[in-house]
Amino acid sequence: MEFLLDGGQEAIRLLVNGDPETYSAIRATVAVSSLSVLASLALGIPLGFGLGYADFPGRRALRTMADTALALPTVVIGLVVYALLSKQGPLGHLGLLFTLPGIAIGLTILGVPIIVSLTATAVEGLDEDFRHTVLTLGANRRQMLLAGLWEARYSMMVAAVLAFGRIVSEVGIAMMVGGNIKWHTRTITTAIALETGKGEFATGIALGIVLLGIALAVNSGIVLLRKRARL
Amino acid sequence: MTTAAYELIDLTHYYGGHPALSLRHLAIRDCGVTGIVGPNGSGKSTLLKILAFLITPTRGRMLFRGKPAPSPAAGRKEATLLLQQTYLLKRSVFENVAYGLKVRGDTAGLEARVREALEMAGLAPDVFIRRQWRELSGGEARRVALASRLALRPRILLLDEPTGNLDKNSSQRIKEAALTVGKGWGTTLVIASHDMNWLETVADVIIPIESA
Repeated sequence: MEFLLDGGQEAIRLLVNGDPETYSAIRATVAVSSLSVLASLALGIPLGFGLGYADFPGRRALRTMADTALALPTVVIGLVVYALLSKQGPLGHLGLLFTLPGIAIGLTILGVPIIVSLTATAVEGLDEDFRHTVLTLGANRRQMLLAGLWEARYSMMVAAVLAFGRIVSEVGIAMMVGGNIKWHTRTITTAIALETGKGEFATGIALGIVLLGIALAVNSGIVLLRKRARL
Repeated sequence: MTTAAYELIDLTHYYGGHPALSLRHLAIRDCGVTGIVGPNGSGKSTLLKILAFLITPTRGRMLFRGKPAPSPAAGRKEATLLLQQTYLLKRSVFENVAYGLKVRGDTAGLEARVREALEMAGLAPDVFIRRQWRELSGGEARRVALASRLALRPRILLLDEPTGNLDKNSSQRIKEAALTVGKGWGTTLVIASHDMNWLETVADVIIPIESA
């Protein structure tokens, strides 16, 4: 247990003194997570809205696929993205392997199903009274769609925060696609895995504290937004 | 003799194969206040949604001012419905009441018209206009929903159980607003309500409908 306490003290020292290696991992994590969440929102909201709103043949099957994709193993995503971005892969010429944008592609694949599924659920939750209310007030179809998006905004924010929470704590994709390169693609989670493997608990614990802090902020945000979404 | 606002002939509407409304012939005058009464499940709400051009009847004919019913979008410019279930947008009271005017592109003197509609619904504008939807009681929300229809100054206003499940004060305010609209504005008012005592005092005509 002593090493944990020592690690905790060392963690505080590293964070307070602004240890460059620790903060490099924090910056990389925040950058890659933010980029992935934004890309997930850009792709996931229109897809989720269409899936929740429109009625077309195969909708139910697509909905099931989107829900199933929530459980995609991250190492499988990492493997597929690695294969796509490696020199022999179809996207190898882009030179994205072992870069932060490369990791972001993998993390976006992780985030999109969360946004799609929760957006579709939120839009499905807009009942007929909503539709009839905006129509009887004079809205056309486009205005009704926009009003529907705005009505579901808190639920979509919950989706974004949940996706951020899942993405920020991911390790498999970041390790495989990013390569855990110091000062470059090393994120909080890959750094924790590496430092713990080397017996450097202090750095691992320091980064773990940051990750827990982010998780706490994310969960507080979800509680607040869920409360608003229910009202 | 004035042309009827609506004339429904051999009209039937089904929900998932179950008949919800069945009428041989029904005419609603293009002025004054018409009351619709009937037991639960007789199709009063379905009828009002058809009159509001929100749903298209499964079978039958509907004439609007003596002519075949216009497109739903055109019809909804003439008639607006206060639904039985209050639904407020997750926005402020101002945004809720202004929504209909904004989507119709009719925004001249917007705030003044929102304030006037709130006053008519018995809500002090200075107190309520900036409130969020979540800060309203059931009765206040109902009156905001009514104000959002009144702000449109519709030619035809349809009210579905406007005073259902409301306290005495809210009911009274809604009744007063309905009376102003029906008698003062020349708006054709159609009210479906269980409150027979009230309907008898405000309605020029009461039409009973029976279960499909």
